[in-house]
Amino acid sequence: MTDQWVTFSRRGVAETVHLKGEIDLANAHDIGRAIVARTTLADAVLIDLTAVSFLDSAGVRLLDLIVGELDERGKPIRLVVGERGPARMTLQLCAFRTDLFAIDLDRAAEELGR
Amino acid sequence: MSESDRPDVTQELRLPWDDDPEDLYEHAPCGYLTTLPDGTVVRVNQTFLSWTGYERAALVGHRRFRDLLTPGCQIYHETHYAPLLTMQSEVHEIALDVVCADGSRVPVLVNSVLERGVGGAPRVIRTTVFNATERRSYEGELLAARSTAEAAEKRVQVLQQIVADLAAAPTEAEVAEAVVRAPEPAFQATSTSIYLVDAERDQLVAVASTDPTTGNWDDMPRSSRRAVAEVARRGDLHVVHDLAEAAAHFPDLAESMARSGRRTVVLLPLTTGPAEDQSGVSVLGVLAFSFAEERELTDGELRVIRLLGQQTGQALDRARLYDDARRREERADFLAGTTRALDEEHRLLQRSRRLVERMVPEIADWATVRLHVGPAGLREDAGGPAPDEDLLAARIAEATRSVTPVYATDSDRLGCTVLPLTARGKVLGTLSLRMAADRRGAEAERAFLVALAGRAGLALENARLYEQERAIARSLQRSLLAADVPSGDPRFAVESHYQPAGQDLEVGGDWFDAFLITPNRLAVVVGDVVGRGLEAASTMGQLRSAIRALANASNGPARLLEGLDRFCQRVESARMATVVYAEVDLDACELVYACAGHLPPLLHQPAGPAEFLLQGRSGPIGTRAGDRRRTEQRLRLTPGSRLLFYTDGLVERRDRPLDSGFEVLNREFSRLRGAPLKGLPAALADTMVGREHGDDVCLLCLTLGAEERLERTLGADPLQIALLRSDMRAWLTGHGVDADCMDAVLLGCSEAVANSIEHGYREDPFGVVDVSATITDDAVEVRVADRGTWRGPGHSRGRGLRLIEESMDEVLFDRGDGTTVTMRRHRGEAE
Repeated sequence: MTDQWVTFSRRGVAETVHLKGEIDLANAHDIGRAIVARTTLADAVLIDLTAVSFLDSAGVRLLDLIVGELDERGKPIRLVVGERGPARMTLQLCAFRTDLFAIDLDRAAEELGR
Repeated sequence: MSESDRPDVTQELRLPWDDDPEDLYEHAPCGYLTTLPDGTVVRVNQTFLSWTGYERAALVGHRRFRDLLTPGCQIYHETHYAPLLTMQSEVHEIALDVVCADGSRVPVLVNSVLERGVGGAPRVIRTTVFNATERRSYEGELLAARSTAEAAEKRVQVLQQIVADLAAAPTEAEVAEAVVRAPEPAFQATSTSIYLVDAERDQLVAVASTDPTTGNWDDMPRSSRRAVAEVARRGDLHVVHDLAEAAAHFPDLAESMARSGRRTVVLLPLTTGPAEDQSGVSVLGVLAFSFAEERELTDGELRVIRLLGQQTGQALDRARLYDDARRREERADFLAGTTRALDEEHRLLQRSRRLVERMVPEIADWATVRLHVGPAGLREDAGGPAPDEDLLAARIAEATRSVTPVYATDSDRLGCTVLPLTARGKVLGTLSLRMAADRRGAEAERAFLVALAGRAGLALENARLYEQERAIARSLQRSLLAADVPSGDPRFAVESHYQPAGQDLEVGGDWFDAFLITPNRLAVVVGDVVGRGLEAASTMGQLRSAIRALANASNGPARLLEGLDRFCQRVESARMATVVYAEVDLDACELVYACAGHLPPLLHQPAGPAEFLLQGRSGPIGTRAGDRRRTEQRLRLTPGSRLLFYTDGLVERRDRPLDSGFEVLNREFSRLRGAPLKGLPAALADTMVGREHGDDVCLLCLTLGAEERLERTLGADPLQIALLRSDMRAWLTGHGVDADCMDAVLLGCSEAVANSIEHGYREDPFGVVDVSATITDDAVEVRVADRGTWRGPGHSRGRGLRLIEESMDEVLFDRGDGTTVTMRRHRGEAE
């Protein structure tokens, strides 16, 4: 049901979440459930937001929840947001920690693997 | 020689007929009695004494005549003889039995005369007695012969009745019922049973009995040692006269005779074929009847019994032929009915369902059809319980591999017959049936099943081909409809919707298309080809290509339609297709359109009501009766105008006249004026026709130019926010707004609308949110207004409010009757 917005892959140790399109109040809840189902037991998580064309506060809330949960378990997470774009803008406006951001997916995967 | 030894010559002097009266009396050829009126013997001649062995002295004066008679005759003497003699003075030829001295009896005929004295008083009775021994035995023979004849006649009557019954009995069961009733009236049998030969199973089956408590009712093989089977093999009548004889030859029979108290048993084979040629007869059954007493059967009875066996055999033979004919007819009817029933369904799944439902319970108690179609195959079951799946799978594999039916046998654990379903030389799947074991006439039955599988295979293959064609038509249509409608141009936006007919119909020939002829000229088409299915879909594809080929900068709509008229001379299936074709000059915002028999487009300009475009009309493509002078109409449009093109499925409804369909469409289209373009055609189709409609619906909505001012009204549904963003993005792009500003405005606006929906209308699902946006050279201003209840910061939407404030340069909240958020963002450099 959420396949048009979210897909998964594996990069080294990291469970990788690829988000795509517009994420807003209407679909954030379902996307969140799909992601949590895959990341609950992951040792590291990468969330690729480079293909996201819109991200609103509901999407931010969802990312905040996932980050918080992984931090509690002591597992690393990176949000791949590119150098610019709607997702990066929204997250920056919400003052997300910059150490969570990554520019490039492969490099972020490499860093997590170390 | 002494004198006394010499013959008395004096007697020789008499003439031979000159009898001595005394001698005549004594030795007359009849008995002679003289009695007193009370019957006392007073004189008797020697003849009577010789016949009866009495001494004269024992009778005369001592016995009365009646004393010499048997008890029965004494009664007769008293009641008839004596009164008659008294009244008439004489009696003649009275038959009486005289008891001799040794106790034996002599039948006699008696004549008596009563002598009367002076005054009429009885004086003496004179009686002559004739020996009637031989006459009586002759009479006895006559009587016996008569009763024999009567018994024979009775048998013949019974037999005639049976023959009449047999002639009227159309089935084996009725023949059996008729004949089993015969031996009791005809031969005074005690009970009767009938066994019939089941040639297919090589068995003898007990089918009827007048006393089911006797005998052994198990089916027996024809090779059995039991008496019934022996007689069936021999084909000749067998009479078991007594228990000893039974014990010597047929122990089973002796046992059941002893148990049921029978002494004599007749085993009669029921035969057909030439009676004179024993080797040519065939035995169709055995009639067994028995007697509680030992019974000798006469030759006549045996003849009649044999006749009964032949008559019954012939009746059975006839009934079998009837049965066969009736079964053949039933099977033919069933096959024809099955073909009809399958024809009623077009789809493969439904047809398969119909097939198994037709089998159960009519010919099987369980049936399954399995087809090798699609990745998972198709399976339909009916009846139950289902048999062992592993055994069935093995048998299905065998039937599929060998392409021959695998029939159930008496000894098999599965009990299912598996028929391969073939069509055009390949195995499409299998039909498995579990039928009752007693479905007789296996050869005919097998031929029937093969015919059934043949028909079912063909019907299912046709459904599969239909299904395939349908899928091809649908995918062809989808690929044509989905292809490259231009987007991303700020000067226009196109939104389309195709809704297939709801009642499982084949694809229709409706289509839409939009393409750029030159960078400034957009062509828009909506059309409808006559008919359905693959042909309609491929014709639609050809017309679509033809239009794309004919559209060029110099042609224009009217000449393009003329080109289509020529085209349909080569593609006959395109004739009578209807098309609306429009070209838009994107820079000048000018529309030119032509309608070839198609419904008029609907135009809504920013100011004023919606209107149908009723000019530029001519007949359908290739029309012979309609107007083929192709005309076109030109008009200027205000930026922000919306145009709707559609096919007849949108306005035609059985329960609504066409003109009122147009009215409703106009009203709905106007009502949705404020709705985002994205999703508008789908919403219109939903309102106009709903889901369960009988025709395809095709819509294309075109928005031209960037509106000066964007105004939208949204329902309180989170899904609407994305639709708004789509419109707003196009509008911002159309006005050349830079990417950063656009992202910020979209974010701020979305958050404000989300806030209204999530909190302002928490308890009002029917609330609306008004959004308006204006643009100047240096800023974009957006106003979002609701009439809900304000929820301030501190809520979970706190982050949303912060995002609004962070993304926009100026934000003003006005909480009066509802909330209005006014936001402003400065423009950067256009990209």
